[in-house]
Amino acid sequence: MEEHFQIEMRNIQKSYGNIRSLRGVDLQLKPGEVLGLVGDNGAGKSTLMKVLSGVVIPDEGEFYFEGKKVSIDSPRAAKDLSIETVFQDLSLCDTLSVANNMFLGREPVKFLGRLIDQKTLHAKSREHLDKLGIDISSTKLPVQNMSGGQRQAVAIARAMVFDPKVLILDEPTAALGVKEVNMVLELINNVKKKGVSVVLITHRLQDLFEVCDRIMVLNEGKCIDDRLIEQFTLDSLIKSIMGSPDKGVGVS
Amino acid sequence: MKMEEDVYVSERIIKESQLKKFLRENLSTLSIFGVLLAVSLFFGIATGSFLSASNVTNLIIQVAPNVIVAVAMTFVITTGGIDLSVGSILALASALLATLLASGTSLIVAFLAVIAAGLAIGFVNGYVVAYHNIPPLISTLASLMYVRGLALLITGGYSVAIVGENWIIGMGQGRVLGVPFPVILAGFIAIIGVIALRYTRFGNYVTGIGANEESVRRTGVHTKKVKIMTYMLSGGAAALAGLIIAARLGSGSSNIGNMFEMDVIAAVVLGGTSLFGGAGTIIGSIFGVALIGVIKNGLTLMHVSPYIIQITEGLVLLLAVLINVKIFSNKK
Repeated sequence: MEEHFQIEMRNIQKSYGNIRSLRGVDLQLKPGEVLGLVGDNGAGKSTLMKVLSGVVIPDEGEFYFEGKKVSIDSPRAAKDLSIETVFQDLSLCDTLSVANNMFLGREPVKFLGRLIDQKTLHAKSREHLDKLGIDISSTKLPVQNMSGGQRQAVAIARAMVFDPKVLILDEPTAALGVKEVNMVLELINNVKKKGVSVVLITHRLQDLFEVCDRIMVLNEGKCIDDRLIEQFTLDSLIKSIMGSPDKGVGVS
Repeated sequence: MKMEEDVYVSERIIKESQLKKFLRENLSTLSIFGVLLAVSLFFGIATGSFLSASNVTNLIIQVAPNVIVAVAMTFVITTGGIDLSVGSILALASALLATLLASGTSLIVAFLAVIAAGLAIGFVNGYVVAYHNIPPLISTLASLMYVRGLALLITGGYSVAIVGENWIIGMGQGRVLGVPFPVILAGFIAIIGVIALRYTRFGNYVTGIGANEESVRRTGVHTKKVKIMTYMLSGGAAALAGLIIAARLGSGSSNIGNMFEMDVIAAVVLGGTSLFGGAGTIIGSIFGVALIGVIKNGLTLMHVSPYIIQITEGLVLLLAVLINVKIFSNKK
C-alpha cells in the first residue's frame, strides 16, 4: 500500500537571477506530523514555505495533496487546500483592524455579499482570539499600535481561523515572550492531535525537540538531512545545520 | 490552554470617554471641518455676499463635480496611488459629449460612450500601474497628456455648443425639489463612497493594499484587479464630472479642467487621506473640496487678483502635504 501523505512536494526548484535558491527539494508531510525545517540563513527555508503557500511560484516541481496531484500557483490555491501560513514578516496590514487582518480576503459578508458583516466579523475574531488565549483588548484596533508579540499573535490567530490541514509557521515565536512561546508550542501539540500537519521554522532549536516528529535540514537550497527527532541530539543537529551532518545516532 | 486572564490586561491603556475617543480617532477630519468653518466665517464677515443664498448655492453647484472625482480619487490615493489624468478625462468627456450630440448621436449612446471612455482610460492607467509596476505618477502623467490631446483633436480646440432641452442638460442644470441635480448626484456618490470604503471587501482591500500590498496578495486577493478598479473609478468619475460640467455650461470644450487634478488631489490630501496609502477618509475629502472651493470663491468675492488666488491655493496644498506627511510618517 502506498504511504498516505497529507502534502508532498517533489523536486522544487527556484532561481532568482543567477542564484539558485532551491535546487530540487522534496518534502513529505504525514497527517498530524510536525516537521522542523532548519538551516542557516539563506538555506531556502522561507522560500520553500512561500512556494508551499502559493506566494512564490517555483520554476519546477510538483505538488501532491492527499495523494492527488495538485497545482499551487497562487495564494488562493493554497488556501483552497487548507494550507495556512504564518509568515516570517507576519504579513499584516498595519492600518487595518485586528479583525480585518484575521479575515482579510475571507470576510464574512451580508446583503447579497455586498457588505462586510461587521458584527459576525468581530464576534468570530473575538471567539478565535479567546480560544487561543490571546489577550487583545479590542478587535477593532488597528494592528499598527500593537506590540510585536500581539502582532505575532494576530498572525497566528489568522492562520488558525479556517481550520488548516497544513499549518506553516515561519519563525512564529521570534517576537514572543516566554509565556507566549509556550502557548505556541502548546498550540502546535493541540493541532497535531487533530491531525493537522505542521511545518515549523525556528532558530530556537530547543523548541524543535519539544514538538517535532522529524527534522529536515536545508543547506544552500538542498535537503542535506532528514531524520526522525529521536535520531538527533542537539549537537548532531547543530553539525547538520553547519552543513556537515554526521550519520546520526541510532540510525538503523 | 487559555493564558492567565491578567497577563497584560492592559494597564497601559488609558481609559477615556466615548467623546474623547471619537475626537481622537477623527482628529484630522474634525480639524479640517474646523478650518472650513473658520474660513467660511471669515469670508462671511469680510464680504457681504459670501453667505448669501445665491452664492452658497452657486458654490455647491460648482464643487459638486470636484466632490464626485475626489470620492473616487480617495480610493486611488488610499491604495498608495495617484491619478493625474482626471482633469484631462474631464475635458475629453465634455468635448466628446458635445461633439457626439452635435453629430446627432442619441442621448443615451452619447452618455454611455462618455462614461465608457472614462472607464477605459482608467483601465489603461490601472493596467499599466498594476501589471507593469510603472509608478502611477508617471503613467497617469502620460494619460494627462494624451487624453488632453485627444480632446483637442476631437474639437479642434473650439468649444462645441450643446443645443436643446434634454435630460443630459438636466443633469447639469436641473433641480429636484429645489436642489440642483449635480449636488444630489455628488451627495449620492459620496454616500456610496463612504459605505464602499468602510464596509465592503473592496474598501478593505483598497486600504490593505495601501498599507501592505504583498500581505493582501498573500491572502489570495487579486490585488492587481483591485488597483485597476480604483483607476477605473477615478476615470469614470472624471467622465461623469465632465459630462455634468458640459451640461451645466451648455457646451463642451477641450480646454476645461486645467489643473482640475491638482484641486482634487489637494482636497483629498487636505481631508486627511494618507499620501502613503493605507488610510483614507471620504468625509475628509469632501471637507477638503469644500475648503478649496470656499477659499477660491471667498477670495474672488473679495476681488483678490486671480494670480494671488492661485498662489494661495498652492500654499494651501503645500501646507496640507506637510501636515499629511507629518501625521502619517509618525504613525508608521
